Amino acid sequence: MAGLINAEPPANPDEYRNVMIFLESRNGELKKPGLEMISVGSAMAHKVNEILIGIVFGDKVGDMVKQAGEYGCDRVIGYESPDLKDFRTIPYATLLSDLIGELKPNILLIPATRNGRDLASRIAVRSRTGVTADCTELDVDPNGRILQARRPTYGESTLAEILCKRHRPQMATARPGIFAVPERNPNAKYESEIRKAKIKKEYLRKEIVDFKPKTTVDLTSARYIVSGGLGLGKASGFKLIQELADEIGAYVGASRPTVDLGWIGRDHQVGQTGQSVRPELYIACGISGKAQHLMGMKLSQNIVSINTDPDAEINGISDYIINADLYEVIPKLIEAIRKKKAELKKEAKSESDGKKKEVKEKATEK
Amino acid sequence: MIEMALEIIVMIKQVPDSSEVVIDPVTFTLNRGAARNVINPADENAVEQALRIKDKNPDTHITVITMGPPFAESALLDCMARGVDRGILVTDRAFAGADTYPTGLTLAATITKIGKFDIIFAGEESTDSSTGHVGPGVAEFLGIEQASYTSNSWVEDGKVYAERQLEDGVETVRMEPPCLITVLTNSNIPRNATLRMKIDAMKRGIETWTLNDIGLKPEWVGLKGSPTIVKSMKSIQEKKREGKKFTPDQMDDFVNELVSKGILKLGGE
Repeated sequence: MAGLINAEPPANPDEYRNVMIFLESRNGELKKPGLEMISVGSAMAHKVNEILIGIVFGDKVGDMVKQAGEYGCDRVIGYESPDLKDFRTIPYATLLSDLIGELKPNILLIPATRNGRDLASRIAVRSRTGVTADCTELDVDPNGRILQARRPTYGESTLAEILCKRHRPQMATARPGIFAVPERNPNAKYESEIRKAKIKKEYLRKEIVDFKPKTTVDLTSARYIVSGGLGLGKASGFKLIQELADEIGAYVGASRPTVDLGWIGRDHQVGQTGQSVRPELYIACGISGKAQHLMGMKLSQNIVSINTDPDAEINGISDYIINADLYEVIPKLIEAIRKKKAELKKEAKSESDGKKKEVKEKATEK
Repeated sequence: MIEMALEIIVMIKQVPDSSEVVIDPVTFTLNRGAARNVINPADENAVEQALRIKDKNPDTHITVITMGPPFAESALLDCMARGVDRGILVTDRAFAGADTYPTGLTLAATITKIGKFDIIFAGEESTDSSTGHVGPGVAEFLGIEQASYTSNSWVEDGKVYAERQLEDGVETVRMEPPCLITVLTNSNIPRNATLRMKIDAMKRGIETWTLNDIGLKPEWVGLKGSPTIVKSMKSIQEKKREGKKFTPDQMDDFVNELVSKGILKLGGE
């Protein structure tokens, strides 16, 4: 426990070397937000001739340690104990702080998930250092091996670069869905070590009495999203949204008011208090585009707005605007998509028929 | 169920109203001057959560604290008008420019001076900095358990229960007091103050503490006590969007455009 003590830089920051990442897991499986830090972490480490150290905690960690190595960590340390089966703040924070004390990493990255932030906040205080939250760009300045942690601020309009020059480790949490998961290489060379953890009873006072898994709608990795807003007018409007989504293999998103009204589950909510998404295509149906919603979707590669209001704020950031009633537009759009699909199928068929014919012809030539 | 007399502390922050903030079209920065100051939305939910526990355990005493400029008094009075018993403003020029570390330290020192407590509530994060680090940081300074990102919490048989909303599920935890809980935005509907309660809050007034009162060294707080610095800010260049228009009768053309530009891939891939 930290006690009421100030942040304090180490006497010799040069002692601190390498990039450490904390890999989150559930039921013995590494989660995506952790894997996403491997490429960026290893790029930073290698840039200054250091290594990337992956840290894994769990009940049994053998498979996860192997996975972390194959995804690109140079060194992996796993701690296992039945007490580490689920994430709990104090045992996790204690073990990770001990590892920081032992290995003295220059940089420590943790995913900006809810448990990741829960952990990072405490680690920063315990290590008497700074942490930059929710970064979307990370780099290291070889001069002094200073972490350049960049995060969107002021409603995603500005990118702030934050430095922690004297305190160590330099900490950041990485926003999920921004950095790509590297290719897994079964022949990767890495060093690994599995340690048995002993957790003091006093650290286990918080008990997890229940866990209800969510069939999550992970919109952050969706390629296409069709979202509905108040313009639907009624809960059943989401059926039409779903129909369009099914037609193109999209996920269903929603604006906050529709969620607040109970028209659809909160796990569909896009925006400041929901999920931040960046699909290839975002179709906004009956969404006016309040700042809080735009914040969560304006990084989408292509945006379509279907809205009766020509002055809807969302139109200002849309690539395509269909200024009409969504109940007229969506059925026509579905019909057009079906037609196009049939066309494409026909083309594909005639092409493959053509190829077959070619092959036959070649065969007869022989 | 046995009613308990609990000592609750709620940490709040005054922020510019995000529905009113104006983004400067040239610099892309937030024009805070134009916005009204309000209680950070998640902190309002935290205050409501504390009041709900008090509703069930009427002997409960709630103190709300904030670190901020003198005008943050209005946020504290607002909470008192909703039923909070005591308001403490911790204000000092030395606190200016604090990042999350010294902010947590200042609040933890304030709570230490208050003395006994069973539960500390805070919002999940503030809308103007969105880190979510201050609440759990305070728990670390004080060496207590925490439950972050909660949608509900209650006290039963002397234990504190909280429901944490995680990306992959809902986790219910049980903790021994003292502990800290961060509350999600929109997790409840905050009650309104009546005019009578507003007048009463004004009469009761708040307490104002300074750096001296909480016993921290000036170099430990504010900008001087902050490990991080903002090196630069640059506006995020957003993609130029054409806003090409289609009518409902041009859906075939529209789909053709999406497909030919590779924006929408239909089947087979």
